[in-house]
Amino acid sequence: MTDLATAPPALASPGAARRRSPLYLAWRRFAANRAALGAGVVLAVIILMAIFAPLVSKTGPNDQAFLTTSLAFPSAEHWFGVDDLGRDFFTRIVYGARVSLGIGLSAALFSLLLGMPLGALAGYLGGRFDWVIMRIIELFSVVPPLLAALLLATLTRGGVWAIVLISGLFGWVNVCLLVRAQVKSFREKEFIMAARALGASPWHIVWRHLLPNSVSPVIVGFVLAIPLAMMLEASLSFLGIGVQPPTPSWGQMINVGMNFMYFYWHMAVFPTAALALTILSASLLGDGLRDALDPTLKGR
Amino acid sequence: MLSFIIRRTLSMLATFIVVSIVIFLMMHSIPGGPFDGYDMPLPDNIKARLMADLGLDKPLWEQYLRYMWGVFRLDFGVPYQSPGETVMGLIAHAWVPSLVLGGLGVLIGAPLGILLGMAAALKRNSWIDYVASTIATLGLTIPVFVISTLLILVFAVWLKWTPASGWGEPRRWILPIAAYAAVPMATYARYARSAMLDTLNKPFVTVLRAKGLSERRIVFQHVLRNSAIPMITIFLPMFVGIATGSIFVEKIFRVPGLGAYFVSSIEKRDYPLEMALMLLISALFCISYLVSDILYALLNPRIRLGGKDQ
Repeated sequence: MTDLATAPPALASPGAARRRSPLYLAWRRFAANRAALGAGVVLAVIILMAIFAPLVSKTGPNDQAFLTTSLAFPSAEHWFGVDDLGRDFFTRIVYGARVSLGIGLSAALFSLLLGMPLGALAGYLGGRFDWVIMRIIELFSVVPPLLAALLLATLTRGGVWAIVLISGLFGWVNVCLLVRAQVKSFREKEFIMAARALGASPWHIVWRHLLPNSVSPVIVGFVLAIPLAMMLEASLSFLGIGVQPPTPSWGQMINVGMNFMYFYWHMAVFPTAALALTILSASLLGDGLRDALDPTLKGR
Repeated sequence: MLSFIIRRTLSMLATFIVVSIVIFLMMHSIPGGPFDGYDMPLPDNIKARLMADLGLDKPLWEQYLRYMWGVFRLDFGVPYQSPGETVMGLIAHAWVPSLVLGGLGVLIGAPLGILLGMAAALKRNSWIDYVASTIATLGLTIPVFVISTLLILVFAVWLKWTPASGWGEPRRWILPIAAYAAVPMATYARYARSAMLDTLNKPFVTVLRAKGLSERRIVFQHVLRNSAIPMITIFLPMFVGIATGSIFVEKIFRVPGLGAYFVSSIEKRDYPLEMALMLLISALFCISYLVSDILYALLNPRIRLGGKDQ
C-alpha cells in the first residue's frame, strides 16, 4: 500500500520502466549464458585483431621476409613460426582472419538480403507464392550444399566474391524459414488486421509491421549464417577451389600444412586451431543470441 | 496413407527432375570440355571426332534427354577418366570404402550420442550434461577436415598409436571412422537430450511416478519409446549423408572411396560420372526423406489416427 504514494514519481521517471524492456531482458538472458558471453569476447578479440592486423604484425601477409629461416618452429620472434615460403605464420593467420570473417559477414548479409524479403512475402502472402518458395527450399534440401558449391566454385573459378555469392545462395534458406515462420504467426494478429482494415498495402504491412516484429529471427538468422559461410569458405579453400593464394585463407593453409604435418607441426596446428576457435565462438554466440532473443526457439 | 505416399513420391520425382536439369546445366556451363586439359593438346579434328563419338556436339537439350533416357534404363554411360568400365561399375567398387567407413562411423557414433544425450537428460546440469553439450557443440560446429587433421596430429603424429592414413587392414580404419562418427554422435547427443527432456516433462511421466513405477522402468519402457520417434526419423538422411563418403575425410586419410571422384569428375569435365554421382546422392536423399516421412506417420499413432478420421 505504501507503494501508492511513490507510484507517480516512478511512473514519471522513464528509467525504471525502460529497465524492463524486452531488449534488456534479452541481454540479461544472454549475459547469464557464460559460454555465449565468453564466445562473444573471444570473437571480439579476433575481430579486433583482424581489423588492426597491420598494427599486430610488422610484415605484410605475403612478404617473404624470412626465407633464410623457412619452416622455423615457433619462437619469441615468430610466435607461430615461419611457413614454407618464408612468411611469418602469425601474420598469415591474423590476415586469414580478415578473409574468413569478411567472407562470413558479407555472405550472412547476402543471405539476409535474399532470405528476409522472400521469407516475409512467403509468410504474408501464403498461397501460390509460398508454395513456390517452399518447393525451391525443398530443392536446396535435396542437393548436398558442398557438392553444388563445388560445381559453382569451379564455374566461377573461386575468388572471394564468388564464395560470398555461393554461401549466400545456400545461407538464405535458414533466414527465409525463420522469417516466414515469424511472419506467419503474426499475420492473423489484431494489429495487422487493423492495418489492413485501414487500407494499408501489403508492402506497407510487411515493411512497417511484420519485419520490425521479425527482428529477432532476422538477427538469429544473420548470426547463425556467419559460421556456416566461414565453414564453406574454409572447405572450398581446403580443396583448392576457394580463395586463391597468395591471399591467406585458413582452409588453404590447413591443406598446405597437412603435407608438412609430420615434421613441422606448426604448419597444421595453428590454422586448424584458428579456424576451429573462430567458428566455434561464432556458433556459440549465435546459439546464445537465439536463446536470449527468442526462448521459444531453444534447442532447435 | 496410400494417397499420402503417392503424393509425396510424385513431388519427390518432380524435385528430382528439376535437380537433374539444374545440375546438368551447371555442369555444362563450366568452360572447357573433357579433352581440353591434357598436357599434350589434341589436334582439333581428333577432338571434334571424340566429341562427336560421345554425343557432345549435339545441342544440350538433346544430350540431357539422351542421358536421362539412359538413366531411366539404369545405364549411366562410361566415365571419361576410366573408359574401361561403366559408371555403375566404378561407383560400385569405389563406394565400398566409403560405405564401410561412413556406415561404421554412423553405427558407432549414433548409439554413443544417444547414450550421452540420455545420460545428460537424466542427470541434468551435472558434469555429464556439460560434457555432452560440449561434445555436441564441438561436433556440430567444427568442420570435419579440422577434426580429421587434429585426429591425425594427436593419435598418429604425437602418440603414434595408429597409422595416419590408408585403406587396408582394419587398424587403419580407426581414425577415419572416428572422424565420421563425430557428426552423428554430436547430432544424436543433442537430439536425444532434448527429446528425453521433452518427454520427461510430460504429465504422463508424473502419473507413472505417482503410480510408483521404478525410475528405470519409466525411462526404458515409457520415456525412451516416446522420445525415439524424432531420433528414428533423422537416422536415414544422416546415414545417406555420411555413408556416401566425405570428400575431406577421404582426402585426408587417403581412402580410395567415392569422395575423390566428386572433385576429379568436376575437374576433368567427366560429365557422365559427375551427373551419376550427383543424381545418386540426390536420389538417396529424396528416398531417405520419403521413407522418414512415412516412418514418422507409421510410428506416431496420433498422425496415423488423424489420417483415418479424414
